[in-house]
Parts: sequence; structure tokens; C-alpha cells
Amino acid sequence: MIAERVALDVAATPERLYATVQEAGGDPLTRAVLSHVIAEPYHPVGTWLLFFARTIYADVTARMIAAKLLKPPVRHLLKHQPAAPADVNTAAWPLARLNLAVQRRRPPVTRDCLLLGLLAAAGCAQRVLSEHDPPFVAAATAMLPLPLQRLIAQTKVAVGEAVISRR
Amino acid sequence: MSLTQQRPSAVTAALAEDRLGVPSIVFFVISAAAPLMVVAGSVPTAYTVTGVIGVPFAFLLLGAVFALFAVGYVTMARHVVNAGAFYAYAAQGLGRTQGVATAWVALLAYNALQLGLYGIIGSAAEPLLTDWFGGSPPWWVIALVAWALTGVLGLLRVEVNGKILSILLISEIAIVLLFDFGDVTHAAAGGLSFEGFTPGALFVPGVGAALATVVAGFAGIESSVVFAEESKDRHRTVPIATYLGIAIIAVLYSFSAWAQTVPTGPDGIVKAASEQGTELIFNQAAAHLGSAVSTIGSVLFVTSSVACMIAFHNTTARYIFALGRENVLPSVFGRTSARTAAPIAGSLLQTVLGLIVITVYAVSGLDPVTKMFFIFGTFGGLGLLTLLTVTSISVIVFFSRDPRGETTWRTRVAPALAILALCVIIGLTLVNFDTVLGVEPDSILRWVLPGIFVVAIVFGLVWGRVLRSTRPEVYANIGLGARAVGGGVK
Repeated sequence: MIAERVALDVAATPERLYATVQEAGGDPLTRAVLSHVIAEPYHPVGTWLLFFARTIYADVTARMIAAKLLKPPVRHLLKHQPAAPADVNTAAWPLARLNLAVQRRRPPVTRDCLLLGLLAAAGCAQRVLSEHDPPFVAAATAMLPLPLQRLIAQTKVAVGEAVISRR
Repeated sequence: MSLTQQRPSAVTAALAEDRLGVPSIVFFVISAAAPLMVVAGSVPTAYTVTGVIGVPFAFLLLGAVFALFAVGYVTMARHVVNAGAFYAYAAQGLGRTQGVATAWVALLAYNALQLGLYGIIGSAAEPLLTDWFGGSPPWWVIALVAWALTGVLGLLRVEVNGKILSILLISEIAIVLLFDFGDVTHAAAGGLSFEGFTPGALFVPGVGAALATVVAGFAGIESSVVFAEESKDRHRTVPIATYLGIAIIAVLYSFSAWAQTVPTGPDGIVKAASEQGTELIFNQAAAHLGSAVSTIGSVLFVTSSVACMIAFHNTTARYIFALGRENVLPSVFGRTSARTAAPIAGSLLQTVLGLIVITVYAVSGLDPVTKMFFIFGTFGGLGLLTLLTVTSISVIVFFSRDPRGETTWRTRVAPALAILALCVIIGLTLVNFDTVLGVEPDSILRWVLPGIFVVAIVFGLVWGRVLRSTRPEVYANIGLGARAVGGGVK
């Protein structure tokens, strides 16, 4: 995972990513992402989001298939089935945790707070969560470390700009 | 410099593949201006309502004014973020409260331009339907079909595909030029007259109304700076595309407006336009070039109007979205559809307003072309003129604090000349607003409509003050668009 190998320089204007490790390691996707960040440390966060957004959906799908979390997509002449979860319970578990947290108004662990914040930033929260409670989401994300809060804010900016500039 | 920095950036190279060049941006901005809709719809209506035969000169004159305005406009786009909207300029040049007032004027103006289009689609489609099926439903049925189509596509976030748009646009320009050729080679008995190009033909009673109509024809050109972030070269691509767009619009529309007067002669154009309305240029084409060419033109007139509607619908919805994102409008407007990422609330608001306007006009039996398309277009044009003026003032104020290495011509002289010209045009438009509305000179209505803008400005200023005292965190981010949610830092 990228966690703990990349940090955010929030003091810089614009905010920048920098790698805290010198050598890219881990699975192929992590290596690819890290090597990009190590090679070109001068890009603002927004640029990285745009850059990774181009390929990340396919990349993460491939990684989840490799980890046997997803069944590979089926493409016959008559059948066109996208990649599906290998185990429905495993797939539903993170969302169940978030829904429980929202229901009980009890902020979840850091990792889930980040997930919640990113879902809200991408505009998906209303679609996947049973209850929509913006103040709770705001309170939960406010508990995150500053770099993660900034990541969520930058994601929201990127989504907004994509809508405005008809990307 | 390290070795890694000398290597070409993989990130920049990958993102550059998506970047836009001059032709793409020119296509975007002119397609919103919809050439055939202006030439077949706005121009004959302007002749009919104003009786001014100097419309061709008006296009050239306003092209020059727009070019003058663009000098400061594109210069400021190099130095401010979220330059895509007039209110961002006003917020960063004049102050955030003034920015809110500008945003309200812009919302009114864009809405008017969008809603007015529902008035033209009926007369665009009626002749074709009559031709093909022997009859046509009332205009409002056609308008409602176009309304439903626009609303659904807006919610699904379907943009007219770039390639289809290019093909439509090139076909439109080609057919307009072909029509012009037909007109010019079939001059009236008096021979070719260039009276339409003379200032004397424009500066007659009604000039203000003619100018305001012509302004609406340029609407959309200001969107070029939206693409600053995505253009190949931020400093060159957008200015070149903007000037090129203005030049193409001014010359093409001016020439076409003049060509329409050639078969009738300058003296006959107002009568012919009054009698035939939006069918004028198609009747001329049928007489000169045959009915097949005329029919192709009519089909393109319909597609042009629909494409223009969709473009304006989406532009306005995005404008509302940007304001919602900044919390200047309720934050519900800043949300997107989770499935399609459409700016859903803004789009729905547009659709509801469209239904209200179509219903009111259908029930009251007012003429959709002269009373809806033309009045809304001129009202929007007046708003656009106000926005251009405020923006030019913002440019001067912005650079007076720090010229940022830009020349005096760009930061002071050109914007000042633009302000002067725009104020004269606004004054003339207000003087002639009775002509626009088709009411008596002493009618109260002529002051009510421009008064709406004044009300919007006052409410905007008040709302800006309210935000400053009650929600300073929102106030601090006014004018930053999508970046407002990121705390203003990129």
C-alpha cells in the first residue's frame, strides 16, 4: 500500500507529495505509483490526482483480481459481465462498517473515516450510504490527520473542477 | 538541475495528451454561439423588430468591442484561478461582495439566453414538419419536446459529442456560406448595395435594440477561458482561440446579415423579414439554390438550435454548480449526481424554469419568436453587456494593485476603451428598450425588465454582506469556484 511511504507537504504552495522511502517496493501497482512520485516530486497534488485518475480504475481492478478479491470480467459474444466480488460478504463489509458508524453517530477508525471522507468528496456518499448526514461526515473527517484531510479536500476540488470544465 | 528533472516528465506528457489546442477551443466557443441559429433566427428577427438595416455593421462593431474587451480578459485569465466565470473576475478585482452581485447578474443573463431558445425551436421545426407530414403541432408542443430532451440529457450529463459538434458546426458554416453565395449572386434590381455596412444605417432610432440582439450572438465566446487549465499553452492557446472565435463570428454573421439584404435590397429587407420571419433565408435559398439545399439548411437549423440549447443548459447548470460549491448558493446546488456526475440540482432548476416559461407563453398566446426568443435574447444580451463592463473594470482594478509584468495597453488602455464602448451600447439599449419589447415609449414595462438586473445587483450586494458577517469562511472563498472547497489552496 501507499500508506506510510508517501507524505504530503502541506506547507508548500501548492501542496506537494513526497515519498518517504527512496526505493519503490510492494506490489506492481504500488511500485509504479511510488516510482512516479519519487521521479517527479515537483507536481502539485491536483496534478497527481488527474494523472492517476486516468488509469487507476483499471489498475486497482487488476490488483483486486490478482488478490482474488474480484472475479475477472467475463466477455463472451453474448455475455458482458464486469468484474464481480469473489465474496459478497468481504465486499460489503467496509460499507456495512460505515453504515453502522453513521447510524450510531460514532466516528469509525481512521481508515474508515478516510473512506467516508473520500466517498463524500466523490459525491457517492448519498448513493451508497443508507443515511446521509453531512455534519457527521465533516466531524469524522475532522478527526483525521491533516494530510489526509487535505487529500479529501483536494479530491473534492478535483471532482468539482471536472464537472465545471466538462472533463 | 538533477538528472530526473532533465528527463521529460511522464506525468506532464500523459496529461498533455488530453490538452486542448486552438481548434478544439474555437469549436467549443463557436458551437455555443450556433451560427445557423443566429443567422436564420436572430438576424431576421432583429430586422423585423428594430427596423434597422445596419445589422451587418453592428456585428463588425461589436466584434471590435469584444476584441477590445478580450485583451484585458485573457490577460487576467493568465493570473487568476477559476477564470471561467465573470464573477470570479469581479470577486478578485473589485471585491467579494461585488463578486456575488455579478454572479446574480450572470445567472439571470445566462438563464434568459437559455430560456429564450425555447421560443425559436418551434419556428425552426414547423416548416420541416409541415413539409414532411402535411401539418405541424403548435410551437409549444415542439418546445416541450426540445425541453424534455434538454432536461434528460442534462441530467444524464450527455454533452453533444465533440466530433458530432464539429461536423454540425462545419456543415452549418458551409450551408450559411452557400446561402450567402446564393443571395449575393441574385441581387435585387437596384444591384449590390453595401448600405448595411455603413455606420449611418446602424445609428438610427432602434440602434440600441439592434446592438443588444447582436450581443446575444456573441454569447459563449467568454467561455474560452474555462479551458485555460486544459489548454496546451495557457499563455497562447486561449488568447488565440478567443480572438479567432470573435473574428469568425463577427465576419461570418456580418456578411450573412448583409447577404440576406441583397435579394430584397436594403429597402425591402425589413418588410421581407417581417413577413417571412425565420423562414426568410430558407425561402431565399430555395429560390436561388433549389429546395434540397433549403431543406438541408432547415434540418441544420433545428439541430443547431437543439445543440445550442443543450450547450447553454449545461453551461448554466455548471455555473449554478460552481456557486453551490462555493456555498454562495445553497450547498445542494454544489452536489453532483452520484451516477452521472451531472450538476443535478442546477440542471433540474433550469428544466423547471424552462417549463414555467413555455407554459406561461403557451397559455398567454404570446408570439414565441418576437416576444420570447427576441426579448429573452435581448434581456440576456443586456446582462452580458453589464457583465463585460464589470469584468473590464475588474481587470483595471486588479492590475492597478500589481501590473504583474503586463503592458499598460492590456491592463488599462484596452479595458478602459472597452468600458467606454460598452457603456455607450448599454445606454443606447436602454433608450431603445421600448422597441425591443414592442411597447409604447411611456410604458412602465420598458423600465421593469432592466430593473430586474438592478434588483439582482442590490440583492447580490446585500447577500454578500450577509455572508461576510454570518459565514466568513464561505465569504473568504468567493470567486474560487471548485477550489473553494479545498480551502482555496491548490
